[in-house]
Amino acid sequence: MTTLTQRAPFSEFKQLATPLVLFLLVFLGFPAIVNLVYSVSDVTFENLRHPQVSGFANFASVWNDASFWQASWFSLRFGLLTALLECALGLFLAIFLSPLIERRSWLMAILMLPLMVAPALVGLMYRLVLHEFVGPVPYYLWTWFGASFSFLGPASAFWTLIVVETLQWTPFALLLFYMAYQAIPKEIVEASAMDGARYRHRLWYIELPLMAPTIVVALLIRFIDGFRVFDNVYVLTGSGPGGSTASLSIYIYEAFFKQGAIGKAVAASVILFVVSFAVLYGLNYLANRRKGAIR
Amino acid sequence: MITALRWLVFGVAAFAMNFPILVTLATSFKSARELSTNPGLWVNAPTLENYSAVFTVSDRLNIFLYLFNSIVVALLGTGLAVALALPAAYSIARGKVGERMLLPFIVNLRAVPLIIFAIPLYMMFQWLGLLDTRLGLGLILTIVNLPLALVILVNAIRDLPGEIDEAALMDGAGRKQILISVIAPVCRPAIVTSLIFGFITAWNEFLFGLMLTTSKAVPITVGASFFFAASGGGVQWGVASAVMVVGALPPVLLGLIMYRQISGSMTAGAVKG
Repeated sequence: MTTLTQRAPFSEFKQLATPLVLFLLVFLGFPAIVNLVYSVSDVTFENLRHPQVSGFANFASVWNDASFWQASWFSLRFGLLTALLECALGLFLAIFLSPLIERRSWLMAILMLPLMVAPALVGLMYRLVLHEFVGPVPYYLWTWFGASFSFLGPASAFWTLIVVETLQWTPFALLLFYMAYQAIPKEIVEASAMDGARYRHRLWYIELPLMAPTIVVALLIRFIDGFRVFDNVYVLTGSGPGGSTASLSIYIYEAFFKQGAIGKAVAASVILFVVSFAVLYGLNYLANRRKGAIR
Repeated sequence: MITALRWLVFGVAAFAMNFPILVTLATSFKSARELSTNPGLWVNAPTLENYSAVFTVSDRLNIFLYLFNSIVVALLGTGLAVALALPAAYSIARGKVGERMLLPFIVNLRAVPLIIFAIPLYMMFQWLGLLDTRLGLGLILTIVNLPLALVILVNAIRDLPGEIDEAALMDGAGRKQILISVIAPVCRPAIVTSLIFGFITAWNEFLFGLMLTTSKAVPITVGASFFFAASGGGVQWGVASAVMVVGALPPVLLGLIMYRQISGSMTAGAVKG
């Protein structure tokens, strides 16, 4: 097989991959260059085509912008907390509910339903759910406990968003963990039962370690998605109250579309670009090295 | 006993995670009068008046346009992504072309906050006249869909035995021919999966719809938020709920019908990617 692929004309394969490469160059390569040029330029909406190269003033203005650091801190905290909560809940549900789901797979369809709804729509739905006059949550809190509180006020907006995100994306972790749990070879489980291992020992020493790679991947994916969150936060709180719920994505969006600060928005994009690719390639490198070591 | 507990946990989890959907569904059937007196989950006098209001075109709001836009951009963004990814996936899986650079780059792309490309793309679209066009939004959704489509297709082709190609090569077929008449038909399940998954992702996309469209090419996720803009007497919650139900329905139905394929592709993208 390998000899055959080597003998086959190499250029034919290159031809087949060319459309994709061209597409990426136009729609990502060119924007990346524009980003880099504009980030070191003095750019306004008037001189878009002839930006004046001006050094690193844009980066300085981002660096000295308190709301940039506030947004970074929000994104980091939001990503970490939602990833941990989603994976913890998802892991528990996947293992605890697996006897039910094994026999009735349509239960999984019900649990997966939130994943199919646009996060932006879910955010809008929570505007209704939490509304002080027409929302059921404040209504039931009033009728049952005689008190409610402002879910999107300064003190609680962050935690409300955490709950909103976690409830929508726990099914993702649940699904991943359920698949991994089902993939554990039955012989291993049976063998450990024969050896007299107790359920919690089996879980702790056999099943969870076998699921560890999936847990790491799920944590990573959910952290990334939480870190770059935009849709549901944007429609639910904008960036308020007082910029306290602006993620980095919202920060860049608002710098560009609301303040017209192109230079600042572009510089922040470049910082995010460099940091995310550095982190991602670093992770790839570590993963490949581990794979190599095992081989 | 433990089974009862499992059912209880299932019920609580399913209820909590689907709670906003249930509330919206209930509210969409409430009359304006009932809304002001009954914020609960139960509907006393169900009515369809909100839905007829939603499907009434006004000069400010046109749900048919938003739905049409979403269908077109989702089809475009999905079809183009698969059309670009399939030949590339074949080269990666069989020819080892781009395995070291292209594949990791695109896989990483899935994890990058796409907002970092948003501003130059906005300017580029302004120059090219692609702002507020369905073509422009469809091209961006192609970028959004590419990573997962590529991973699914590369995995599918890698799983095929190399003898298929070999036999066709012996018969004198070129790689292009093999791809079209041998690989693509065999990979149909993977292609269908990436199309479904891409359609749902594209339909649910919000950020680029918000930035790159203003009126003519507005997709439903953005259009739905227009119904929340106060029109004189504040938000009409019944109408807004009906819009959200309509906007959420296509991907939800697709997801319910195809959940087995979707769950498989989600894990494929996550674990092998």
